[in-house]
Amino acid sequence: MSAAGAPRLWNLVAELTYRCPLRCPYCSNPTQWSAIRDALDADAWGRVFREAAALGAVHVGLTGGEPSVRGDLAEIVRAAADAQLYPHLVTAGLPLTESGLAALRDAGLRSVQLSIQDADAEASDAIAGTPSFERKLAIARAARALGLALTLNFVLHRRNLGRVGEMVALARTLDADRVELANAQYDGWALRNRDALLPSREQLEAASAVVAAERAKASRPELVWVLPDYFSGRPKPCMGGWGARLAVVAPDGLVLPCHAARDLPGLAFWNVRERSLRECWHEAPGMNAYRGESWMREPCRSCERRAQDFGGCRCQAFRLTGDAANTDPACALAPRRDAIAAARQRPASDALRYRDARSS
Amino acid sequence: MSDAPLSPAAFEARLRAVGTERYHDKHPFNLRMHEGELSRAELQTWVRNRYYYQTRIPVKDSAILTKSGDPAFRREWVQRLHDHDGRAPGEGGLELWLRLAETVGLARDDVASLAGVLPGVRRACDAYVELVEGADLLVAVAASLTELFAGDIMKTRLAAFEKHYPWVDAEGLAYFRSRTTQAPRDARFGLAFVVENAKTRADQERCVAAVEKKCEILWSLLDAVEAAHRRPRLSPHVVLRDDDERPGGKVAVLSERAVRVNEAGCEILAACDGARTAEEIASLLRARHPDTPHVADDVHDFLGEMERLGVLVAA
Repeated sequence: MSAAGAPRLWNLVAELTYRCPLRCPYCSNPTQWSAIRDALDADAWGRVFREAAALGAVHVGLTGGEPSVRGDLAEIVRAAADAQLYPHLVTAGLPLTESGLAALRDAGLRSVQLSIQDADAEASDAIAGTPSFERKLAIARAARALGLALTLNFVLHRRNLGRVGEMVALARTLDADRVELANAQYDGWALRNRDALLPSREQLEAASAVVAAERAKASRPELVWVLPDYFSGRPKPCMGGWGARLAVVAPDGLVLPCHAARDLPGLAFWNVRERSLRECWHEAPGMNAYRGESWMREPCRSCERRAQDFGGCRCQAFRLTGDAANTDPACALAPRRDAIAAARQRPASDALRYRDARSS
Repeated sequence: MSDAPLSPAAFEARLRAVGTERYHDKHPFNLRMHEGELSRAELQTWVRNRYYYQTRIPVKDSAILTKSGDPAFRREWVQRLHDHDGRAPGEGGLELWLRLAETVGLARDDVASLAGVLPGVRRACDAYVELVEGADLLVAVAASLTELFAGDIMKTRLAAFEKHYPWVDAEGLAYFRSRTTQAPRDARFGLAFVVENAKTRADQERCVAAVEKKCEILWSLLDAVEAAHRRPRLSPHVVLRDDDERPGGKVAVLSERAVRVNEAGCEILAACDGARTAEEIASLLRARHPDTPHVADDVHDFLGEMERLGVLVAA
């Protein structure tokens, strides 16, 4: 413990902006993203990084939106490195350029997580809502050439689960260190598009077998694959626990336990423009609302798995049951597991709503 | 999937397909062995560790004997004990393996003492015995059906040794020679038994799963042998920093995780220079800490875990 009460902060997620050239229909940014301004300049981020390091953080994920839309990204990377944090860039690959990436490496960047939407250009660009596939491949090659650690992230859904094998093949071609085969999380934009994105159990089982076969072929790249909570009957151990090891700082400076908690009603989070990160992490009422286990109800409160999954995702509990303190309905033991069952039984839709700025 | 049992021919084809896909003749270590690419030290590690597997075979066959109430079955199966243990001292498969150990330059007593068996090998072999002990007779016999594929691998191996490892005395290869005939004979009996006694589709599926599990065990045995000769070094993507909460400890920070390493782990990491093999690192640490038990096992397990987490890379 770094101080009485709150646990040590290990990992900072710096959402530098919600602007992005892509329009993915499962974007994890708030649906009201366009109303949230980029309020922190590079100096302000530098202060946040130093405070995070003082709280124990060793790592910062620089994410968005698309961080490379910011002209001061190299300055921000340098501030993170100067604060002794491990700077990790989460990018869609554009408008980043090869020379821009080289400048980030020179500023202290260590690793890149690059999102790709599918295994080929046509399908990937269709989900991204903009031509981007070829740029992504160029950035992947540049990352490799610059000696940066490279993770590829593929968000999976009913339209691309059948191509997991091709995604891994692409990752092998690009010599990635790690591949996240990340089933979409049904919050925010993805929740709006759930009928068009939610896969069938058969699709997931087939993809699972492909992953097992690919893992057997070679130990590299590391393949990250988890059966999604809608189908596993087990809630995800969201964020490793609420306010347990990770803090998100949003573009407007708000300090959150996850990227989606802003919308939960009745929770007061604090802002690094007004207070120290230490106060925002330790004392904000919202940050303490679901820390530890005392907030839990049955069946979580007496469940032997509560230290592994923390009762699941508070945002999902709120979105699907109306109360964030309920057991995540993805859990087979949840009183409201019917909410997940109902979603799985809905007919599939072909209508995708892309992320836009006129959201309501 | 239909619940009707497969025909005997279709069932046998399913069992054989498991071997085609997963038998350890396709493991990179075996491929290298058969291509003549193993160093003397690698071959020695394999012989020393595989001996532990050999010692487990009569143990698991004894367990199988206790599961059968049929004298005819036991008369047939007990032959396997005689094959491995011999009918007198100085005979049998275990003895032949120790002679192989001598011809590759190992001390017989040292190998027989099971000192230096890698922890991953021990776990794999013990898992086989546990699988058999916990199973009913049908599944226990099914697990032995990797013998269906063993005759061929023994022939490949004999040819490879004669061609690529001429320093291994021909007399030392007697074990492989004996198995080219024993394995097919045993497999014929085992296969007939399994086909006859797996009467439902569910029984057949349990048998297929047992052969799959056995293939997995053989595969992981070779994984452990192979890992002992890799040369680990810190990943270029790792930043090592002091752990301010644990004196002497470090935190290895990677793009996706931070790994806390205690003081003992740090000493092992410091020895990972990309030149020493895992075996050499284990020996080094054992020499430094002669009074600490299980040092070599701990080193191998630590190196495996750090490689899995991406802290170490090994060539």
